[in-house]
Amino acid sequence: MRLTYSLILFGFLFSFGICAQNKQVLYDFNEIPQSLSLNPGMETDFKWYVGVPLLSGISGYAGSNGISVHDIFVDDGVDINVKVRERALGGLTPNDEFSATIQLEYFNAGFRASNPAIFYSFGGYFEIDNSTYWPQDYAALIFDGNADQLNRKFDLGDLKSRGSMVNVMHFGINKKMDRNLTVGIRGKLYSGIVDYNTTSNKGYLVNSLGENNRIATTLDADLMLRTSGIQALDEASDSGSSTNAFVKRAFFGGDLGLGFDVGFTYHLSERTSITGSILDVGFIYHGNDAKSYSLNGRATVEGIEINVLEDFGNLERDFWQDLVDEVEVLVPFETDTKSYVTFRPTKLYGSIRNDFGQSVGGGNGQLECDCTAGSTGGGELRTKYRNSIGAQVYAINRPRGPQVALSGFYTRRIGNILALKAIYTVDKFSYTNIGLGMNLQAGPINLYVMADNLLSYQNIAASNYASFQFGLNIISWGSTK
Amino acid sequence: MKVVRILIPVLFGLMLGVSCSEKQDFEQLDDLEITPSYEASVFYIKAQESLINRISGLRFFSQDFNFDAFEEAFFANRVRSGVLTYELENTTSKPIEISLEFLDENEEVLDTEEFIMDAAPTATLIRDVAYGAAGKSLDFIRNTSKIRLIARNLGDNSSTSNLPDPAIILRSSAKFTLELK
Repeated sequence: MRLTYSLILFGFLFSFGICAQNKQVLYDFNEIPQSLSLNPGMETDFKWYVGVPLLSGISGYAGSNGISVHDIFVDDGVDINVKVRERALGGLTPNDEFSATIQLEYFNAGFRASNPAIFYSFGGYFEIDNSTYWPQDYAALIFDGNADQLNRKFDLGDLKSRGSMVNVMHFGINKKMDRNLTVGIRGKLYSGIVDYNTTSNKGYLVNSLGENNRIATTLDADLMLRTSGIQALDEASDSGSSTNAFVKRAFFGGDLGLGFDVGFTYHLSERTSITGSILDVGFIYHGNDAKSYSLNGRATVEGIEINVLEDFGNLERDFWQDLVDEVEVLVPFETDTKSYVTFRPTKLYGSIRNDFGQSVGGGNGQLECDCTAGSTGGGELRTKYRNSIGAQVYAINRPRGPQVALSGFYTRRIGNILALKAIYTVDKFSYTNIGLGMNLQAGPINLYVMADNLLSYQNIAASNYASFQFGLNIISWGSTK
Repeated sequence: MKVVRILIPVLFGLMLGVSCSEKQDFEQLDDLEITPSYEASVFYIKAQESLINRISGLRFFSQDFNFDAFEEAFFANRVRSGVLTYELENTTSKPIEISLEFLDENEEVLDTEEFIMDAAPTATLIRDVAYGAAGKSLDFIRNTSKIRLIARNLGDNSSTSNLPDPAIILRSSAKFTLELK
């Protein structure tokens, strides 16, 4: 029953919306091939690997920094209307965010080139992401209305939301430049399935004292909603061909885009290294089934106004319809099918790591077996240590400015079989986010499982944030010579 | 080592399995009430004294105006209560009677509101008319399709007020509470 509740709550959180996920546990976890997707310049030692299709990388995340499911739905005897009023309407601000990401890797593989310093990787994944900010003044208009609030400007710019579903195909090159420096770059081809965004809205709605009548209502609006793919999928759904339409849009029949990731690893000393990467520097051109809706203009109305002397010869006209028409001319609602471009939410990772303790694998720490946790790839072997400690930073470009997370981590390697990573993260969603990751290497079979904000599992409904990642790969290191 | 290999997956499984939550009641959503109140001007009518003086007879003005705002389905289906506020200002030299009739689509009179104003100088008349549980029937509002304005001059047709721009002015606004959920 408790598990059922947990699953329902995960589902509820995901329904809120999405942004790109901070995979702080996976980052710099060199034993896991999918870590390459977070830093194409990661040190690798695989000869080749193949992800188990559809199981190699599954991740999800949902967060809302200002409110939790528990805040509203806990069975505490308090009237839900009081809770909504106090905790949502009274507690949230337009900077509070509801976001989530789901990523499903359907294929991922990599192999070392004849030049052992070079490692290629490629694959594809689906990503659904969405980010919505609390539309405070819209909520105020919906729950309270505008009565008895003369001169209060309801900010129409409070509506900021974006989301997309894309298929991403990628190809990366990772090269060990010398003993200390490894760099990498990954090209990405985006095939947009669905996109919507309404992030640059401006304007207000206000009631003020009228010049002639009691109240003047002014609407000053510059609102825009851009969509792509929604109409095509909707029509396909009506005709029973939604699967075909989805597959077509996912594989180059929809919107297309390009992007890249770059990253590096640099050893400051034998035991200390820094890493960094920039991901998803790219765009999608939405030229297939794009549809935009806009409301742009300014109008002030004081109801039907009749000056009998001035209108004496024209009193039979329809004053109400004339008023409606006048507003529609001043603030037209328009639709068009113009193409548009969206930029991918660019992410930045960085870390500093210090290794310590005994070397892994015995002897001088150089890895001599076919299955190992280490970063000796391609060339000169580097000693691997049982323990690592370090710090990470993550930032993502969001509609209301960058969102940053800071982490401190500890990694423990137990032989060549097991690696564990514990990480503490501070961000806008949580100050008590402790995550755990485990990489298990059973011969060529590689399994990893990660989750964070573990303290919230005591009462997941009260959590502002939850995420998970897991995957299954087959890895070969070949001979280490 | 074997123990660790077994222990870790078990721990992860356990963590997911025992993840729990205080009891949540999603059926509370049924009790959520969304009942905003919206306010806006309705109509403004101004009849100058010079015009009144030019029209002989008691009734100097009678006109039907189309008014579909209250009939709109979004409003009519959700309105639960409301107040129409009238503000009548008379700066003419004659007493005036104003009659507002709310008509349905068949031009049947649903409701009537009457105002009598003394000649200037006189204070502005403000009247709140409630609809809903604490006032008149909301059906008057929901079914209003036209408003008929009848103005009667209860004085003469020759005098002129000393006040600037003498006229009879009727202002009005509406404040209605809707039940969105």
